[in-house]
Amino acid sequence: MLRKQTLPELIQELRGHENIINWHEMEPQEARTKPMPATVDPRIAAALAKRGIRELYSHQHTAYETVARGENIVAVTPTASGKTLCYNLPVLSAIAADDTSRALYLFPTKALAQDQKSELNEIITEMGIDIKSYTYDGDTSPAIRQIVRKAGHIVITNPDMLHSAILPHHTKWVSLFENLKYIVVDELHTYRGVFGSHVANVIRRLRRICKFYGSNPIFICTSATIANPKELAEQLTGKPMRLIDDNGAPRGRKHFVFYNPPIVNPQLNVRKSATAEVNSLAKKFLRNKIQTIIFARSRVRVEIILSRIQELVKNELGAKSIRGYRGGYLPKQRREIERGLRDGEILGVVSTNALELGVDIGQLQVCVMSGYPGSIASTWQQAGRAGRRHGEALILMVASSTPIDQYIVQNPEYFFDRSPEAARINPENLIILVDHLRCAAYELPFKGDEEFGPLDVTDIMEYLVEERVLTRRDDTFYWANQSFPASSISLRSASQENVVIIDQSNVADVKIIGEMDRFSAMTLLHDEAIYLHEGVQFQVEKLDWDHKKAYVREVDVEYYTDANLAVQLKVLEIDKTNIRRTVTIHFGDVTVNAIPTIFKKIKLSTFENIGSGPINLPEEELHTSSSWMELNEEQLDPEVRGDRLEQVLLGIANVLRHIIPVMVMCDRNDIHVVSQIKAVHSGKPTIFVYDHYPGGIGLADSVFKRFDEIKDAAKNLIRRCSCKDGCPACIGTEIIGIDGKRRSMDILSFL
Amino acid sequence: MSSLREKMMRLRGSAAPAAETAVPAETSTLSGEARPTPQHSAGSEAAAEHGGEAQEERLSSAWDEMNVRIHHTSLGGFLLRETRYPLDFRHGEHRLSEITDVLQGLAQFELYSEAKSMGANKVDPELFPMAVVPERMLFLDLETTGLGVGTGNVPFMVGLGFIEEDAYVVQQMLIRHPAEERAMLRYLSEKLPAYSHLVTYNGRTFDWPVLAGRLVLNGLRDFRWEPYHVDLLHPSRSIWRNTLSSCKLSHVEEERLGIEREDDVPGSLAPAIYFQFLADGNPDPLFGVFRHNEIDMLSLAALVIRFGHLLGGAMGGRLAYPEGPEEQLRTGLWLERMGQTEEAAALYAKFEAGGKAEPRLMLQLAERDKKYGNWERAVLLWQQVAALMAEHAHPSWDAHIELAMYHEHSTKQPRLALQFTEAAFDLAHARYEGLRLDAKSRAEIEAIRKRMDRLRAKLAKLSG
Repeated sequence: MLRKQTLPELIQELRGHENIINWHEMEPQEARTKPMPATVDPRIAAALAKRGIRELYSHQHTAYETVARGENIVAVTPTASGKTLCYNLPVLSAIAADDTSRALYLFPTKALAQDQKSELNEIITEMGIDIKSYTYDGDTSPAIRQIVRKAGHIVITNPDMLHSAILPHHTKWVSLFENLKYIVVDELHTYRGVFGSHVANVIRRLRRICKFYGSNPIFICTSATIANPKELAEQLTGKPMRLIDDNGAPRGRKHFVFYNPPIVNPQLNVRKSATAEVNSLAKKFLRNKIQTIIFARSRVRVEIILSRIQELVKNELGAKSIRGYRGGYLPKQRREIERGLRDGEILGVVSTNALELGVDIGQLQVCVMSGYPGSIASTWQQAGRAGRRHGEALILMVASSTPIDQYIVQNPEYFFDRSPEAARINPENLIILVDHLRCAAYELPFKGDEEFGPLDVTDIMEYLVEERVLTRRDDTFYWANQSFPASSISLRSASQENVVIIDQSNVADVKIIGEMDRFSAMTLLHDEAIYLHEGVQFQVEKLDWDHKKAYVREVDVEYYTDANLAVQLKVLEIDKTNIRRTVTIHFGDVTVNAIPTIFKKIKLSTFENIGSGPINLPEEELHTSSSWMELNEEQLDPEVRGDRLEQVLLGIANVLRHIIPVMVMCDRNDIHVVSQIKAVHSGKPTIFVYDHYPGGIGLADSVFKRFDEIKDAAKNLIRRCSCKDGCPACIGTEIIGIDGKRRSMDILSFL
Repeated sequence: MSSLREKMMRLRGSAAPAAETAVPAETSTLSGEARPTPQHSAGSEAAAEHGGEAQEERLSSAWDEMNVRIHHTSLGGFLLRETRYPLDFRHGEHRLSEITDVLQGLAQFELYSEAKSMGANKVDPELFPMAVVPERMLFLDLETTGLGVGTGNVPFMVGLGFIEEDAYVVQQMLIRHPAEERAMLRYLSEKLPAYSHLVTYNGRTFDWPVLAGRLVLNGLRDFRWEPYHVDLLHPSRSIWRNTLSSCKLSHVEEERLGIEREDDVPGSLAPAIYFQFLADGNPDPLFGVFRHNEIDMLSLAALVIRFGHLLGGAMGGRLAYPEGPEEQLRTGLWLERMGQTEEAAALYAKFEAGGKAEPRLMLQLAERDKKYGNWERAVLLWQQVAALMAEHAHPSWDAHIELAMYHEHSTKQPRLALQFTEAAFDLAHARYEGLRLDAKSRAEIEAIRKRMDRLRAKLAKLSG
């Protein structure tokens, strides 16, 4: 290697590459600013001036003025647009003006809260005003906790801590709740699905307690770009919101490039693996010492890519300069990696969407996505990691052969012209609601006519009396149980019990290296599974399901494992029905029984199946909401009945599995699609789409409402796929030889 | 309603949390016969005051039999049970009247906390003539609906003990329903400020924070009362941590105060009994909870008397010396911290004379001696321990190291110091032989090696 190439040179070289199928350039944008408002405390203005901030970006200015008028706001702010000033300025001003004022900051993770504290404390020191800001989380020592409760002006925490440590002990936080002026909800867009539905209820509890202490705080929310920030913020906080989206921050030139790996098997439309392409592209940037972030879609993928890249560049760069980042790493490790990225010690990072969030890792030059991240909003978030205010930046999305990846790269207008998805929550999910009503009643007695969110909850209160959780006297419901309800309710997952991963490679030094939720553990931590952690392979020696412990030992093998899940479905109740001539679409409740069956060993280099084994774990049962479509078989072409129909349905289910998460904005794992040639309850050919959470979180409902839109998108996807008759990128490969593509499209048009 | 229940059961499936299934209250047979000879005074004067009110609520005869009356306040009523014990009542080894004999000793508690807050080891009692007036001491113990200090944990019964007109009065409040809590707290908020001292068992982390939280929750946010708080759990732990299998009050009283409870309803069952009462309204099983709490109130008084004697120099006289080296040593260390150096010295002497102490205890006393400069005994103890180690199955070398330091720095005999260090090294080596070392033991061995090297270098320099 003679000379390092610069990024503009590499960009130039990449143009005209045969695998690049779309090149989108985003022009730089100049800053739009307004003068610092006169009402800002001179000490704050001086401190900001010292950091070179003499004017405000337009959106910061609007935020300040709107909050000053007493309105709740949600500010939509892309990465690195100075969003923290949208809330810090009003909050610090309020405390500077009145020392008794208090503010509560909510961040989705502990890491973000830590970041915010350091940033805030720097400004506060420069201001020379005695404002105390503290993080309050699981790591806060008991001695500090007392101080935070009594004297913290700004308490920075996460929803989990609010839920389990602050609200149930609110009598210790009198000075906070009596004087609470602002509640800051950062990264609003992360509060969706199950987590968002929980958090909406936690905020209802928070507002109840504020009311009890006589405060009525203003909410300041910030969000990445989603379709419905105002709606989400209103649903989450129960307050009317003013939307602020006049982003005035400058940004440099960005190149957004779609890369489609070449076809290696034209019959099956099999493309070269995205992982391999990502590896060689990343290698090029890293060799030239260009700081690069690589996003992969799963934890396993992160580890596979990490080990390959480390291998590829090991002679030129130290292994320590390329790191992995994902859930399951311990906080200390993560902090170290974030720091390394900021100060440039770490050159490359391979991450799951964990780094989509506002964790401060500084400005990176290149972002490589291994596959479409699953939603438009998420893609823009990941892309925002490359190139902050100045200079050129490159974003490369390398498509995999999945249907949706192929759909996106071949229809770039879908991505660039469409507004991002809406974030959905369902705070009225019965399980979630009942759980939080228990917590709410624990915190303060419930008046019979009291509302919780928009609902009258007397029925649920009476149910809880029957369950001997509450007791009623006159018109008030009181907590009457020995338990501490918040401890058995986790905001993050369906089941609060996580499986702890224990490394026993060194008998003298057995240690916990991570944890995983129960449902993922069924397929990732079963006996003999290969679990990857920081690029190191571990084999699960024993999964102790009763005690939720997985014992692992370091190994060095040439394969990874992939588990199968068998699913059974029963319809319990039909809530909504839409009858057509050829198809009947239902929405209602179902029972799903899932059991992992076998796992396959897949060779790392060739992805061939080199063995398998059974998994012996108990069945998990799930009651949830589902939308399902029943076909009227007699209306169909006689040629596509029976076995053939079964295969076609399998193909359509495969397409739906990919297209639905995109349409309703959810993780692939949040929604499941299952086809049955004879459904148990009706005997009819049926495709089920169900929420993977007890009670449902509104996804299947959304599918019911948008059935035609989803159907058309599915048809489009099949039509545009370049394969001959079915490939992994559309209807799958298991149904070859029956003219599957045409038949699938026929059925979809016929619905 | 039932459809909601069905739906919840379906949704929860097999994952129903077990926590909510109500524990059926154990109906233990309660014997009233074993009761002492206290006199139950009917309700309180306040109840009589309001007696003229129009709709006077009558309690059922079941309550009458427990001597429970309604007490009315401006915020509504709650139940009150009062039991008066004459001061010559004996509870275990102590009579309640002894409380007047131990006031001097009890003043030490406060003195000690003053000293600590001033950063001193000892305070001259002359400077702080503390006066503990028995009539201004309040004993308190709660029975709550759950564990922890969260806002949903309700004290359904509050036990108070105080001295009034030659009697030890146990006053117990019970709320028939959470809605009665405000009235009970109002009563407490008026009663508590009359007292200057609060005595509890684990009240610092439990009873008092719970009560403080309830006051805030029930709108009595401005209530201020700052008594001197004696939490007897702390001295109990200091003294009995290793000699008793548990430092629960019921265990301490049985093992050390000669108190036997008959047909006691364990405190852990109290919440379930109360919830059962909330569900069916039958007060009978609550009698067991009243009795349990009542005995706790008596035991608190007995325990305070015990500690008062200890601090007041009654050992060897009224009070026997503790038995066994561990308890002798721990009592001594505690007394010394509380400023009772002479009593402590006596106990250390007993400890030494007993001669059957484990090496770890001998090291503990040596540590104390080192701190106070009593080198003579410290060295003796270290030597004894070091000698014992030769025969010990799992030897430690702490004594050798202490001796090495002593001889290097105090007696200036580096050669002797080296000998002890080498002996320590041999012991460590023998101890860890064939074992994989963790970071801690590696560091330990490394430290010994360093000391050895340093001493050798020092000797070489001296001789060269």
